[in-house]
Amino acid sequence: MSSDVIPAALVRRLRTTSAVTDEDIKAVDALPFSVREYPAERNIVSDGQRATECCLIIKGFCARSKTTSEGRQQILSIHIPGEIPDLMSLHLHVMDHDLSTLTPCTLGFINHDALRLLHRRQPNLADMFWRDTLIDAAMFREWIVNVGQRPAPARLAHVIVELRERLKVIGRIEGNSFEMPLTQEQIGEALGITAVHANRVIKQLRQEGIVAFHRGRVEVLDENKLLELAGFDGRYLHLSPAL
Amino acid sequence: MARFHFHIEENGRLIPDEEGKEFFSGDQVRKEAIATGASIAREAFMTGSPCRVVIDVREEDAPFLRVSITLDIEEKDEG
Repeated sequence: MSSDVIPAALVRRLRTTSAVTDEDIKAVDALPFSVREYPAERNIVSDGQRATECCLIIKGFCARSKTTSEGRQQILSIHIPGEIPDLMSLHLHVMDHDLSTLTPCTLGFINHDALRLLHRRQPNLADMFWRDTLIDAAMFREWIVNVGQRPAPARLAHVIVELRERLKVIGRIEGNSFEMPLTQEQIGEALGITAVHANRVIKQLRQEGIVAFHRGRVEVLDENKLLELAGFDGRYLHLSPAL
Repeated sequence: MARFHFHIEENGRLIPDEEGKEFFSGDQVRKEAIATGASIAREAFMTGSPCRVVIDVREEDAPFLRVSITLDIEEKDEG
C-alpha cells in the first residue's frame, strides 16, 4: 500500500474538522505506519494493556467497549476509517477499555515515540490531534445522553444518523444507504438493551418506513422521519474548524 | 445449545420473532426474557398506550416460559 493511501481518510477528516496546512498534511503522510490486517471481532488493544502504539483505521469498522464484572458488555463508540480510536493511549498509558474490530480491518499502527516527535516538531499538529480527542469526548457525552435519556427507537435513530454524518466526511455514503456492520447483539450492546429488544426496535423502524437493515447496511427510507425521531443536532461532532 | 424465539405481545398485538437466538442455559433465557420484558414495558408504559407486555418464549415451537408485565395504577380519589 503506498503511503498516500494509508492516511487518506484521516487527511480528509482533518481537512474537514481542523484548519490544517499543506505542511501538516505532508507530515501526516510521512508518519511511519506499520500496516497489519485483522479479522472481524478481534481485540486490537485490551482493557489493562500497556499500549506502545496508536492505531489508525485504514479499512473496516471498529468499536470500543467495556465489560462489567458480571460480564455485560457496553459498546462505547463505533469507529470508521480515518479515525485513531486509541489516540488517548499516547498520554493514558494503560488501557481502561477494549478496542476491537467489528469487521475485517486494515490498520496502520503508529509508534508513540514517532507521534511524540511529530507533536514536538509541529505543534499545530499536536493541537489538531488534541482537538481530535476532545471531539471524541464530545461524542461520548452525546452517547451518554443517548443511552441514558432517549427511548430505544430514538437511540437507534441517533446512532444511525451520527454514523452517517461521519461516513459522509470520508465519502462513504452511496445514495441513501451506508455500512453499519453491527449484529443485533452488538446493536443491543450499543444501546444498552437486550438483543431481543434491539430486534424489536429494528423491526419497528422498518415497519414505520424509517430505515431498513440489510446485511450490515442501513437504508434510509424516510429522511424526515429519521431526523425527527433521532432529535439530531450535529454540533457536537464539530465538523468544521469554526465549530 | 438450543434456539429460542421471543415473541412479544403489547396489549394483545403480537410481534413474532422468526429468527430466534441461541442460548446455553435456561437461566440465560429467563434473564433475557425478564430484561427484555422490563425494558420494553418501561418504554411502552412511559409513552402511554400499552399497559400489558408479554414475552412468550418458545424453544422451537414448544412453549418454554412466559413473562407478563402489567401496569396497574390506582389514583387516589380526589372527591
